[in-house]
Amino acid sequence: MKKLVAGTLASVMVLGTALSVSAAEDASTQGKNTFVEGATEMDFWTFQELHVAFWTTMADVWNEQNPDRAINLTVTSGESQPMHSKLLIACQSGDGAPDMADVEIGYYGSFLKDGYLLPINEAVEPYKDDIVLSRVSMYGDTEGNYYGVDFHLGETVTYYNMDIMNEAGVDPAEIVTWDDYAEAGRKVLEATGKPMFAVETNDLFLPQAMLLEKGGQYVDEEGNPNLVTQEHADVIDFIRGLLNEGVCEIAPGGGVHKEEWYGHLNSGDVASVTMPLWYMGRFTDYCSDLKGKIAIYPIPVWNEGDVRAVLQGGTGTSVIKGTENEQLAKDFLAFAKLSKEGCTYEWDVLGFDPIRTELWEDPAITENKDNKFLSFFTTNPFDVLKANGTDIIAPNIAGAYSAVYGSLVSTTYANAFEISVDQDAMELLQSEQDSVIY
Amino acid sequence: MKKKSVFKKFIYSQKAAPYVFIAPFIITFLVFFAYSIVSMIIMSFQKVAGPNTAFVGFDNYKIVKNAVFIKSLKNSIFYTIVSCMLMIPIPMVLAVMLNSKHMRAKATFRSVLFIPALTSIVVAGVVFRLMFGELDNSFMNQVLGLFGKEPLIWLRKPATAWTAMFFLCLWRWTGVNMMYYLSGLQQIPGDLYESASIDGATFMQQLRYITIPLLKPTTIYVLTISIFGGMAMFSESYILFNGNKSPNNIGTTLVGFLYRLGLEQNNLGIASAIGVIFLLIVLGINFIQLRINGTMGKGGDK
Amino acid sequence: MTKKSRIISVCLVLFFLVITVITLLPLALLAVSSLRPGSDLMRYGLNFSVDWANANLNEYKMLFSGANPYFTWYRNSLIVTVVQVALALFLSACVGYGFAMYDFKGKNIAFICVLLVMMVPTEVILLPLYRLIVNMKLINTMWGIILPYLVVPMLIFFFRQYLSGIPKDFLDAARVDGCSEYGIFVKIMMPLMKPSFAAMGIYQGMQSWNNFLWPMIVTNDINKITLPVGLQSLISPYGNNYDILIAGSCFAIIPILILFICFQRYFIEGMTAGGVKG
Repeated sequence: MKKLVAGTLASVMVLGTALSVSAAEDASTQGKNTFVEGATEMDFWTFQELHVAFWTTMADVWNEQNPDRAINLTVTSGESQPMHSKLLIACQSGDGAPDMADVEIGYYGSFLKDGYLLPINEAVEPYKDDIVLSRVSMYGDTEGNYYGVDFHLGETVTYYNMDIMNEAGVDPAEIVTWDDYAEAGRKVLEATGKPMFAVETNDLFLPQAMLLEKGGQYVDEEGNPNLVTQEHADVIDFIRGLLNEGVCEIAPGGGVHKEEWYGHLNSGDVASVTMPLWYMGRFTDYCSDLKGKIAIYPIPVWNEGDVRAVLQGGTGTSVIKGTENEQLAKDFLAFAKLSKEGCTYEWDVLGFDPIRTELWEDPAITENKDNKFLSFFTTNPFDVLKANGTDIIAPNIAGAYSAVYGSLVSTTYANAFEISVDQDAMELLQSEQDSVIY
Repeated sequence: MKKKSVFKKFIYSQKAAPYVFIAPFIITFLVFFAYSIVSMIIMSFQKVAGPNTAFVGFDNYKIVKNAVFIKSLKNSIFYTIVSCMLMIPIPMVLAVMLNSKHMRAKATFRSVLFIPALTSIVVAGVVFRLMFGELDNSFMNQVLGLFGKEPLIWLRKPATAWTAMFFLCLWRWTGVNMMYYLSGLQQIPGDLYESASIDGATFMQQLRYITIPLLKPTTIYVLTISIFGGMAMFSESYILFNGNKSPNNIGTTLVGFLYRLGLEQNNLGIASAIGVIFLLIVLGINFIQLRINGTMGKGGDK
Repeated sequence: MTKKSRIISVCLVLFFLVITVITLLPLALLAVSSLRPGSDLMRYGLNFSVDWANANLNEYKMLFSGANPYFTWYRNSLIVTVVQVALALFLSACVGYGFAMYDFKGKNIAFICVLLVMMVPTEVILLPLYRLIVNMKLINTMWGIILPYLVVPMLIFFFRQYLSGIPKDFLDAARVDGCSEYGIFVKIMMPLMKPSFAAMGIYQGMQSWNNFLWPMIVTNDINKITLPVGLQSLISPYGNNYDILIAGSCFAIIPILILFICFQRYFIEGMTAGGVKG
């Protein structure tokens, strides 16, 4: 009997191991491009598996167009937080860092402040007129140098559930200001009993967008924490007011990347959400019931005539100090992220709104019925991009941004909207700022 | 050749043998433990920034005045105290019940209660997070519904979030602690109870005057591991709150804060200062225990 | 009297049946949910309201399809566990033996060091240890996970305790027979220690298999991480892969459950060993 049990056990183990061997070869998270004899070897780190194929594909395209400057790129993908820590430590010790890396916006300040990245102004120069430059220059310093390029524009828009809008008799196209939005929200609440929108307690997208529209920033020009501003307090008070009315709710799960929220959104229990365009992918992935029901419009503003375009979220790909192939890395980076080929790939495969403006006008892209993003939404996201133009506000992510971000997403907005709702906004922000470690 | 054999002879001598035997420990102790402690203490007085690293005196220790630090320290202490209050009496009572002569199928129940301890914290944490989800149909809210209660937002309010944490803790460790008590109970001679019941002692009296006092060594052991487990708690909170950021830091512990500063925000100096403070707390607790119990508290040291 | 004791019996058993149900409930929820698509979980929450007509094994099919690194993690965990258990048992047995069988200069100090390591949670020295592993270029390797935990104080303690029951004359007799110090350990002592190896092997195996924090910190290559870290990585801020997470969690418990059912006695011995043998 015992032998039998042991035998079974052993075979389970062997089976497991055998399976694992066959599976191991398929797990392609360390990617390489098609090998080119005699090409320059380069290392790349990312924290997002989806980016691996992007980089290897772009290396192939690059090699085709620049046979004399060919690259053999090795892309390693790891979990976000450990990858950033490892990269920081490698930068500190000046040993073991890759040539290039994807750095998430929340971590960017840490790399910038200690000077671990190389400026890429020259490499970006040839593309300058074809792109939204503020998306590049935001990964920069006060001296006008910039160090990173994003995958997407990250233009913030408002997604409306048209079933609810129609039921309440609201036309989102007519919403211009936040006051219009609040008024529409009241109608929605009355007609359907559902909230117009939700605010996150564990992230900052909506308040950040509102703050940027008011001309505020979380860090000042020197990069010091700057949470205590009248603009910021006004944003908090505005949202608090709508929370009290029931027009706004706390996002189920505390944020718009939580499973509770996706369920809530997909069931049509909330009328709208304001997020960057890259959030389209969450709709297609998690909210299949909403297909054909969601319309995309520009975000509301505080005063009619204000700039309606705000950039949020992102990843700045950068060249790391200490690379032996400085120029090549910079040129390749600019090419991959800013060329037509690169931007087209980003839109087609990843659903990222292109930094390159000519793509907004290209019918092969904007009218492509097979694109899963375009066919999901009832309005065309490119119309929003075109309407908003290239005069776009970006957050200042220098200096203390990483540290401030840590406080905002863990305590500040949780306190402001859920826990200490009666505390004076300025007072609250002051005590939050005091706890920031910078 | 001759030299080598002298060396070999020395290594094989009875005098050198114990050192060879304990060498693996000494080496890992020096390389990993001692080195880490020393470098942590040094870093705690530095601003760590690659080539620009500089000594800053006690600046990093100003963190003790930081609101989040105080909160995470309070959280760790609160978790430790409550988990001790739960994880000692409940397993003890269960063990006494299971050990009762009236009990049937003891081995089966004992094994079943042990199963949660086999699961990884990741698996357990994910299940609990979803059970305590805030959807109306999440399991715990369904349970509340049975009693006619409104659904709760479990993991975003301090009281309910801690309830979930303690449920998780109870679920995972009750079986193990009960096992400790069971083996403790087996060492109490049965004739003690016999003579007690001849003397007319009730069950409660037996419990009070025989069982609990004689289980003291087990209790000390369970208390010790609960205190250290509690103070070092991090993974539970990390998984339950889906990352190292709980709403308003309700679940941020000392280790979580250290992790956030050191690994997420690259503030190694301050994080090291927290590590040193943590070390002092742990050594302090040990010292107190040593004074109270007169032993190291951990089993075999006699 | 017998009637009364029967009533007590029934009550006790009923009580423990309730406890059993509560204990198994989370795992049952997990098992049931693994038969539903992950999107259901998001929409309807984790509960027992299963539409049995639509229940299927798709999640498991996905798991076994090889399109995800799940079994790479599984293999990594197996390797780490086996190597770590083997090395930790052998080395800790050596050290425990050294402490139990010899009197030597510095023994007390060395033993205090063992106690010290035991008392200080590894979480305290997380950061310097991490930097050390980085400098040793062991990040993303099995050795990075294993080396700091190569010699386990808890095991040293246990083996020392276990061996102290063996009279030292025994050693002298072996020495007279011409056995070297190491020969005694390998040929005579190790066979004697077999039962304790089983219990401690199980104890250490569970620790290694379920270890989370340290492997999470020292590995970040998705092909090098262990199972718990891998499962955790499925829950990212940018989308949760519940399909694989739930089915994968179930499948992660199974081997340990089988082992437990077969070798219960050793599990329980291993887990309680530190407790009461003082």
